[in-house]
Amino acid sequence: MAYLYNMKKIFFSLACLLCAQIALAQKDSLQFDEGNNYIYYRVIDKPSLTADTLYKRGWDFAIAFNQSAKPAKGQAENTLNTSGKFLVYTGVSLMKKEGGQINYTINIQTKDQRYRYRISNFVFIPYQRDRFGNMIPIPGIEVPLEKMTAKYGKKETDNYLDQIGSFCISTGVKLKSAMDKQPAAKKAETIKKVSTENW
Amino acid sequence: MKKRLLLLSFLVASVFAASAQDTTKADPPLMISGSVDTYYKYDFSKHSNLPTSFASDNNSVSIGMIDLALKKKVGKAAFVGELSFGPRGQAQSIPTAAGTYDETNNSFHIQNLYVSYDVTDKLNLTGGYMATFMGYEVISPVGNFNYSTSYLFTNGPFQNPGFKATYAFTSKVSLMAGIFNDTWNYYTSTNQVNTFGAQLMVAPVTGWTAYLNVLTGKLSGTEFDLTTSYQITDAFKLGLNAATFKAADAVGTGGFTGVALYPQLAVSKDVTLGLRGEYFKTKTGDYLTYGPSPGSSVIAGTITANIKAGPLTVIPEFRFDNNKDVNDGFISKSGAPTKNASQFVLAAVYAF
Repeated sequence: MAYLYNMKKIFFSLACLLCAQIALAQKDSLQFDEGNNYIYYRVIDKPSLTADTLYKRGWDFAIAFNQSAKPAKGQAENTLNTSGKFLVYTGVSLMKKEGGQINYTINIQTKDQRYRYRISNFVFIPYQRDRFGNMIPIPGIEVPLEKMTAKYGKKETDNYLDQIGSFCISTGVKLKSAMDKQPAAKKAETIKKVSTENW
Repeated sequence: MKKRLLLLSFLVASVFAASAQDTTKADPPLMISGSVDTYYKYDFSKHSNLPTSFASDNNSVSIGMIDLALKKKVGKAAFVGELSFGPRGQAQSIPTAAGTYDETNNSFHIQNLYVSYDVTDKLNLTGGYMATFMGYEVISPVGNFNYSTSYLFTNGPFQNPGFKATYAFTSKVSLMAGIFNDTWNYYTSTNQVNTFGAQLMVAPVTGWTAYLNVLTGKLSGTEFDLTTSYQITDAFKLGLNAATFKAADAVGTGGFTGVALYPQLAVSKDVTLGLRGEYFKTKTGDYLTYGPSPGSSVIAGTITANIKAGPLTVIPEFRFDNNKDVNDGFISKSGAPTKNASQFVLAAVYAF
């Protein structure tokens, strides 16, 4: 009986481990668009706000989000585009290092009481170590995200997809705050205090 | 059973701990990278003939090195330390096997040991013992396509200790200027820090980078160097290195001039074929190079494949060198001077 009890504990632990891994799979937030390209796409209702107001807030967000690139008006009405890049890492723990950078574009479109955005055009630029021990981009190598599995294998690609998914989710949160005109919610850090009065 | 439970608990905790670290907006982690390499070489004259660096042992399974680099950046300040130990940990504090504090009997094995600071987004200051900015090839086998090295690499600087400032005008143009120790490669100067070095980097189009380099000093001589590479298509890359060196008056007369071309073609996801064609000419004078006699020249052709299996690269390579003169240094199987030398190398490089 004791053996069975322990087995239950093992299975429960394994289930916890599995759940933890599933919860961490941020890549699932990415989808494919009609052209079979990776996209992070959301439509958000924003009652009582006009398209112009939302567009202005979206524009302000784009300027603040990426200060090195100016947003540009899109072809469609009330549409804006901006682009940027972020680092992705390879390896874990002590062996973690910059594996490359991801270039992307953000497209925001507004209408009365609603806006939508898409983060897409993901392109991976691999890094290599230079003679000075720094990780730098390999000149001239650009791999669209859709072709990464063929070039780098599933394990490596999934690792990068998770980081891209995580970036998209956090970007979505920041955009929502900008559209709500509220400062980004900070995690309430409870300060643990111990009572030294009663002992 | 308890051990298994403990192990599982540890694994679960590790996952959550790793997740917590990943989501923290902090400075990049301490970066550890490096490589190990080993090789087998067969020289067709049955003894080592080529004077260029590395892959030196004939008919032997030999080792290259274990290269271990640490990098950490906090805010705008960073350091890089590549490989093991230095003088503080050796002769300045610990005696040699002979019981003496002997600076000449040390083996520091430092490739890079420097600190740097980003004054602004465009201006970086760096000081310490750094890999040279000159030339196409490097010491680390991970940074080279061919396993054997060129005459230009072997005869150029490996490291330049000093202080340099790099200003990036744009992502396509940057300028570095610095003052370095009076001699190349050594951990300390002879007694001056008077070698001037500069590098202009331009990236005219995507995939094409070019570096114009100069290094000049009263003791180290003067070298001008052009290093450029162009990833013309996804599969084809072309590299070029050209340099000319004049020895310092204090050292002697002469020097060298050379050019090397590096076409490389990726024939599959994991296999790339490459060629190195080099012409290396020594100037007349009394300065001796690792190459043919002063006033002579050599043409070297190297055919190399890089076969990748994850972090492991297997490198089969065939090389043929042809000296201008029969007395330029190559010795045939029978022991007679010859103009030609050829070798086969099979190397394995693991990068991490």
